[in-house]
Amino acid sequence: MPLPWYYFLAITAINVLMSWALYLPYRVAHLHFLTVANMAISGYLSGWLVQVVHVPFGPALLIGFLTGGLVGWLVSLFIADAPTFTVVIVGFTFIYITRTVIENTKAVGSTMGMFGLPLVASSPGAHRWTLLAILYAVVLVVGFLIHRFEHSRLGRAASAVFVDKDLATSFGVDIRQLGRLLQVFSSTVAGGCGVLYGFIYRSFHLDFFTFHLVGLFMTIIFVGGYATMWGTLVAAPVLYGLTLLFPPAVASWRIVIYAAILIAVLVFKPEGFITRRLAYTVERLLSSKRKI
Amino acid sequence: MEVLLAQVINGLSLGSIYVLLVTGFNLLLLVAMIIHFAYPQVVVFSMYIAWVVLRYTGNSIPLAVLAALASSVAINVATAPLFQQVMKNREEVDINATMVMSMGIGMIITDVLSHGFNKGLPIAFPKELVGDVALFRLGLVSLLSGQVVSLAVGVLAVSGVFLLLYKTRPGRAFRAIAEDPAGARLVGIPILSTGLQSYALSGLLGGLIAVLLALMLGYASPGLGEQVAHKVLAVSIIAGLGNLPGGLVVGLGLGILEALVQGYISGSWSNAIAFVVLLVVILVKPRGLFGVKL
Amino acid sequence: MNKKWFKLLAVLLVLAAFVFVGCQQAGTAKKVKVKVKEWEVPFLNCLTGPIASIGEFLQWGAERAAKEINEAGGISGIPVKVTGVDTALDPQKGVVEMGKIVQTALVALGPVPEPVIMAAAPIAVENEMMTMTATTSLEYAEKFFPWSISWFPKTEERLPPLVKAWAELNPDVKSVVQFVGNYGPWPGMVAAHKVGLESSGVKALNDVEVPQDAVTFGPLVVKALNQKPDGIIIACWPEKAAKLVQELKSRGWKDMKKVLLFSSADDAALYTTGGAALNGTIIYNFVNVDASNPRWDAFKVAYAADHNGMQPPSLSTNYYDAVYMIKAAMEATGVTGDPKKLKEERKKIAEYMANMKGFQGLLFNWDMSGGVPTNKPTYLFEIQDGRKSMVKEIRP
Repeated sequence: MPLPWYYFLAITAINVLMSWALYLPYRVAHLHFLTVANMAISGYLSGWLVQVVHVPFGPALLIGFLTGGLVGWLVSLFIADAPTFTVVIVGFTFIYITRTVIENTKAVGSTMGMFGLPLVASSPGAHRWTLLAILYAVVLVVGFLIHRFEHSRLGRAASAVFVDKDLATSFGVDIRQLGRLLQVFSSTVAGGCGVLYGFIYRSFHLDFFTFHLVGLFMTIIFVGGYATMWGTLVAAPVLYGLTLLFPPAVASWRIVIYAAILIAVLVFKPEGFITRRLAYTVERLLSSKRKI
Repeated sequence: MEVLLAQVINGLSLGSIYVLLVTGFNLLLLVAMIIHFAYPQVVVFSMYIAWVVLRYTGNSIPLAVLAALASSVAINVATAPLFQQVMKNREEVDINATMVMSMGIGMIITDVLSHGFNKGLPIAFPKELVGDVALFRLGLVSLLSGQVVSLAVGVLAVSGVFLLLYKTRPGRAFRAIAEDPAGARLVGIPILSTGLQSYALSGLLGGLIAVLLALMLGYASPGLGEQVAHKVLAVSIIAGLGNLPGGLVVGLGLGILEALVQGYISGSWSNAIAFVVLLVVILVKPRGLFGVKL
Repeated sequence: MNKKWFKLLAVLLVLAAFVFVGCQQAGTAKKVKVKVKEWEVPFLNCLTGPIASIGEFLQWGAERAAKEINEAGGISGIPVKVTGVDTALDPQKGVVEMGKIVQTALVALGPVPEPVIMAAAPIAVENEMMTMTATTSLEYAEKFFPWSISWFPKTEERLPPLVKAWAELNPDVKSVVQFVGNYGPWPGMVAAHKVGLESSGVKALNDVEVPQDAVTFGPLVVKALNQKPDGIIIACWPEKAAKLVQELKSRGWKDMKKVLLFSSADDAALYTTGGAALNGTIIYNFVNVDASNPRWDAFKVAYAADHNGMQPPSLSTNYYDAVYMIKAAMEATGVTGDPKKLKEERKKIAEYMANMKGFQGLLFNWDMSGGVPTNKPTYLFEIQDGRKSMVKEIRP
């Protein structure tokens, strides 16, 4: 497979997963930026386990997922039902802390990073196919779980919390439990993404996990549509693919292009391109066709 | 003791930067109900405009100051319709939409500065504009003119904005429009012109802050706004959104904390430790140390 | 009658087949001699981001070389074009762009800097394409030999003699504090400085870390001065280095010769931010601005014209020389640019470059041996009014 296609497919999958990881807590109006820190923590930990301790990739990936979940759970003990601002600050704090710890830890390469991570299969080609297979399997599983969530009582409860927290509470929604569930799930997904992200490049560096990632995932969610999971599926490949098609002179302005698209969507299509109504219409059409 | 005093003065100097920026940030919050995450980037952009004017006018400081004020007002007024459109159906502060919108504006400003001004290089202001004259020096303790002016103006700015918003008619009109446009219209406040005035006012403050930062720092870089934006947001939230005196106290406190960490522990840990302290505060007092004032 | 027509048709068909096959062969024979209309050399560079100012002059140097080569007739008569590919200092972007480049390029310039090299160079290695890492030291480049090139010997060999030479200029310096920006290879360079200091009998006091988002520098300078150093070494981002010097001066530091700036600080951001505050400071560097030869003189004039009268910074000649190396390699090995021969021609270029003898660089000639340069000098300069003047040359 040509390398440009490999990177396009792999990074798109990561962007979809991470945007979903941000999307889920946002269903209860939490901007859970801790997910970027989860990527870094799990990624570096698993990279170190594979490269230094020679743990096989599979268990290391599992450890990455679990570490993300654990960190998310520990933090959620404090912020499961916190105001939005608190959750934002927590995210920023953990990003700063994580970066600082990594910078000062020689075992994970500190400011130079970790490079030359082992292949997960017998050859570079097999490595890429394996990673793609894992990535898209995770996309399917996570997508399925989110879809089930959206069509469950929990999903409806989340929508109620988004609109009016107090009213939702008065109807018996346990905000804390719901918040915790979403944050833990989101952090778990982010942890696994961090590991896969590093193995796509076979390296880890602090510049992989910056505040720009926050901006990128927010753009995907808001441009695609923050009210349903399908917007991310559309926006992630389009936004990422768009910049790959640009000639170098234009590509260097990609941040401006992303930001302009984001602003235009916020002003003219505040719910994003894939609105809830559109998603429901399509689902109804599909389900009615199935009945026929 | 000498070192501690020197670091505290350094901290107050750093803190005054945060105070200035948080004051402008809070002003926008109070008069327009928007979380302008990119307010520091707007200020830095004004610094660049001032620098360009200095270059082309042979270092004419009055023209540069005017240019900084004008550019900040222009950006604020130009982006006002975007924010208003996004805020159309809100009933309370819509952090999500306005913060995301302002993040987008900040990204554009930073990238434009990286590409389009001085080949992306940092800019330096002429010595005449920079306040690096030592008013006092004893061993490691020194007090520069720029530091004193910035701190003094920071305190004055907070006081001035507070008085304007809470003790004058126009200030009450600004707040009325922000809190309840329909109600403001009912009592005869002209929405459009008053709204534009409020954005222009925050732009004026932004331009003034740009001049003061030029005085204090003596330089600017495309990433300067981004570097402080997180802290400005954090200070505002910790103090209590819209709380002007709170912003003053927390801004100065953060500056002192960072200076002490850099001085006694390590420069690379200063952000992490500062944010941990902020985090603990906000977990204990989610509405901020001094309460939300919206 | 019908049989006759059939026979005639059959003969005509056979003849046509021969003609057709013949044309194909001719066509194929023509394809063997196909040459490109332009040699495109991609340059993985940091054109935006925190060290964009360095990327700018690296790009300038490479494009200048391409311009000169084209004016002199090109490479094997074909013009060459250097295309800047921005990685924004982001290793992942470097990897993705290298993935695109290896599809068609014969050779690439960059990546810059070390973290992007470490991430992206393995892609070049996997595809057996030379990527000319012309700003890096041996310890980073050797991992990717023979598909990369080292521009400098190992950091721990190259830097101690420089620092020792500076210490010898200031015999009354008995203790030094280093300001270190926590980025990439800089902590490693600071460690190498310490070796040089210790070999001169100078004590290395506690380092002061400079955060990347430092806005004011008072706390850092107070921390340094509290240790009562006799000398200062600064190894961080150029504009921050300038601010540190200004802060030192404003707190009473007088003897600027006792302030040493490292080579990565040598770019426009240092001089535009620091101004007259830098006067008297010493900087170490790999390019002698006082030297004179027709090409170098023309380079200096052209650089000054495009950069507000500034002297060329330390690394500005690296990719200029790299482009000329590519020219030499391509002409010596007779590459054609034929896509079918991509692998073979890439290998020829890499092999030639790894052991190039007597390469005529812009400032001096040098030999490559196994991808490592030998006999390259380094310098100490004093800065005065934004200009450098050589104080000492140090030869390995």
